[in-house]
Amino acid sequence: MASISVPVGGAPSQPASRPRLRVSDYLRWSVDHKIIGVQYMVTAAFFFIVGGTLAMLIRLELLTPNLDVVQTGAQYNTLFSVHGLVMIFLWIIPMMAGFGNYLLPLMLGAKDMAFPWLNAFAFWLIPPAGILMIGSMLVGAPEAGWTMYPPLSTLFSGDGQTLAALAVHLLGISSILGAINFLVTVKNMRPAGMSYWQMPLFVWAIVATSIIVVMATPFLAGALTLLILDRIAGTTFFDATKGGDVLLWQNVFWFYSHPAVYIMVLPGMGILSDVLSVHSRKPIFGYKMIALSSMAIGIVGFTVWAHHMFTSLQPELRIPFMITSMIIAVPTGIKIFSWLGTLWRGKIRFTSAMLFSLGFLSMFVIGGITGVMLAMIPFNLHVHDTYFVVAHLHFVLFGGSVFAIYSGVYHWFPKITGRLLDERLGKLHFALTYIGFFFTFFPMHFVGMLGMPRRVAVYMPEFQGLNATASIGSFVLGLSTFLLIYNVIASLRGGRLAGANPWRALTLEWATTSPPPATNFVGEPMLFEDPYGYGTEGATAYLDAVERQFGAPPQALAADKSVSPAAQGASGD
Amino acid sequence: MNSSSVSSRTVITLIVVGVLLIVGGFIISQATPLIFPVEASAESKQIDQLFRIALLIGGAIFLLVQGVLLYSVWRFRARPGDTADGPPIHGSTTLEIVWTAIPAVIVVVLTILSYQVWSSIQAVKDDEQRVQVTGARFNWAFTYSTPDPRDTSSDLTFKSTELHTYIGRPVMLEMQTQDVIHSFWVPALRIKQDLLPGRTTQYRFTPVAVEGETYPARYPIKCAELCGAAHGEMVAWIVVHETEADYIAWFDQEVDKVLNPPADPVLRGEGILASQVYPCHTCHVLSTETLQWAGNVGPALNGVADRAATSRANATGLTAVDYLYQSIHEPGAYLVPGYSNLMPQLGIPECEAWSIVAYLCTLSDSGAPACTVELPAQCQVAAPPAEATPEAPVEAAAEATPEL
Repeated sequence: MASISVPVGGAPSQPASRPRLRVSDYLRWSVDHKIIGVQYMVTAAFFFIVGGTLAMLIRLELLTPNLDVVQTGAQYNTLFSVHGLVMIFLWIIPMMAGFGNYLLPLMLGAKDMAFPWLNAFAFWLIPPAGILMIGSMLVGAPEAGWTMYPPLSTLFSGDGQTLAALAVHLLGISSILGAINFLVTVKNMRPAGMSYWQMPLFVWAIVATSIIVVMATPFLAGALTLLILDRIAGTTFFDATKGGDVLLWQNVFWFYSHPAVYIMVLPGMGILSDVLSVHSRKPIFGYKMIALSSMAIGIVGFTVWAHHMFTSLQPELRIPFMITSMIIAVPTGIKIFSWLGTLWRGKIRFTSAMLFSLGFLSMFVIGGITGVMLAMIPFNLHVHDTYFVVAHLHFVLFGGSVFAIYSGVYHWFPKITGRLLDERLGKLHFALTYIGFFFTFFPMHFVGMLGMPRRVAVYMPEFQGLNATASIGSFVLGLSTFLLIYNVIASLRGGRLAGANPWRALTLEWATTSPPPATNFVGEPMLFEDPYGYGTEGATAYLDAVERQFGAPPQALAADKSVSPAAQGASGD
Repeated sequence: MNSSSVSSRTVITLIVVGVLLIVGGFIISQATPLIFPVEASAESKQIDQLFRIALLIGGAIFLLVQGVLLYSVWRFRARPGDTADGPPIHGSTTLEIVWTAIPAVIVVVLTILSYQVWSSIQAVKDDEQRVQVTGARFNWAFTYSTPDPRDTSSDLTFKSTELHTYIGRPVMLEMQTQDVIHSFWVPALRIKQDLLPGRTTQYRFTPVAVEGETYPARYPIKCAELCGAAHGEMVAWIVVHETEADYIAWFDQEVDKVLNPPADPVLRGEGILASQVYPCHTCHVLSTETLQWAGNVGPALNGVADRAATSRANATGLTAVDYLYQSIHEPGAYLVPGYSNLMPQLGIPECEAWSIVAYLCTLSDSGAPACTVELPAQCQVAAPPAEATPEAPVEAAAEATPEL
């Protein structure tokens, strides 16, 4: 059945000249989506370290029930406020945008994004926003949390609050511009012969994400504008004593910020769909259901916002939001089961990329289950704004998004740099991350249910055991990050050469050299009809043709052989 | 033949796995006493039961997913040297329908159960005890009302920093905030409700007996919505009396304090501040023999009487007494240099405010009162016979001075 539209045995046409990119190329304005993609990723990684440092300080403070590491409660509030803002708006969202930028044109066989200049502009909004965000900590505590609820954020929080709000405003603009670019690129730049139903699932995820970004982010912009006006222009949109309303902020903020959860996790699910299929050498199970469930999550995601307001929303309005929040569990469940179906009867290879995707599966499901629990209003009344919620959201955003990002880094690093990351270090990184993550965030469920609110620097002494466990776990988690950083730096210099297609994957980004030439493809891209058609003769013929065209991975580095010892090692555990 | 025997084995496997999952989920769900505080309200029992059902189902799903995951990575791992691909299976409509339908049914069931519990919690109960809750950074206060024994046409109110109730009596709290959003949470009751500026919100619960508890039982009340620097320290206590009689004993004692306050406004004012029913202590610094306040948001109060009589009087043109009174009722009217307009309108009744001013007048560096307050007529204490003369406050103030 499977046929390939490839000139089998065609003349090897290695791109004549592939100018080696220097570090300085990444520090200046460029409209090449690959450079912009890397700029996004490196910038985001920098802010991941910033946000992570803040997290370490938070956990250090929470080792003991008293205020000891920081001087005042306001300083503590600044730590978690900026931690949340940085991790969401300067790490996960830009990191996913980085993957999108780098991969989308390649996966679609295109030379670049639809609007290259706009693409660069969207990226260059991020550094000034990041400076504003870091500056916010220096000019006066922004102590209203990443949710910035008025009137705390308008009447009380320090001047840094204004800077932080401006930073998020800028990042929102960046995000909208990027999303428009993604949508137009997918609509207009697919190659002949690739229908929507033949796109990689990562592309589907980016489409769903971009629709959410374009529809939801303007609401955040509106809310932030009112907030900034209340702070600097004396308006009273959120001041109840002067005719304003504090719930206005909550409704509009969550109308963006709940969908924002999907903005952060849908691209990760896209990464997972690709990685699981490639590394278990089996077609993705239920392609259409996964693609459609992304869209379903995107749409239903717009109707659930007020479940963040179950303790403030007027009581009669809570029930409809419980119902929609329950419904959204169904498409999420479909994805999880489809991924399990993909693994079933596959030939699973324990690459680092695969391990992180498996880690996502096993941790994200906990976040999914607690999500359903949180949708149940009576239970929510107890755990709302407690550490249970902190646990839940980190299982979704760290166990989900960040594990997916790690998985994507190990999977696509060879494409981006031409070199493989060290697998041994990668596995150690996975083990430490997985264990550190679990012990950081799992005890938080208990401490929240037992009675510890979130966002407190001082807590009752009986919670110290669980908090200390979480803190120690978090230090392991923090240290594990350096393994990845070291791995990236060391592999950039001395990593093994990857060749064009080290994982023998069927999606288009692998049918070109690593890293790809400036125009991505020389001549027409070699398109295989089914991006997940593993296990067919057609697929094998196609992969062999790609190897002939672009050269096999250097000897002993062919994915199959290089992972065999790894598979042994992992099965031995 | 062969296929039918395979399918019957599959059916048996599925049944065994299903039973194991449910048993596993059940075992997990029985761990809840370890992760919940005591069940001190009728609502907490309903909510915990609901959670146990959710945990049973969630636990089974958890075991299913992790089980399939672990089984797959062990059973279907690529053996060394095996470079082949897996079989080209693209999906199974039957399976996809099953794993769409089962979660759908589960969430429908959980939604219905949640709705039932929610309706029951929300329902207005007969004979509710009503208490007003006031949240202010970083303090809780509870206002009780009862017909005034001296004049039954009006209500006598008193404030407490603890919420007193008794077993079996439904309670309805009417909650207001004086500044930012707070959230009233009693983990032992399992319920939480925000206090929203410009609104009055409600909170219902019915205390129940807890086995092995010594009464009156005390459970912490916490603020769950970030409200500023001392958010984590915004804790008060709910006191559950065993019987109505115990509760009434406490209640009468509080009423008595209102009916018979110290005639001396200085002592009365000091008593009000010491009771912490107003959140003054959370923001101001004050160090006396009886009061040790360590707030660092507002101006220090030691020596405030001197400043009121000198620099503040010059700046505002008010007398020291009027300046202090204005500072309580219109905190933003004059801002002490270096401080911003953060103090809320606390709604302190006039008589209490004058008493507080009388006490503040004694906070001078020398220890001698820098000003004196004559309480308005309606604030004079009538009941205790002897010292209730118009001159009494002034004398009393003078007498109280050496202590300060």
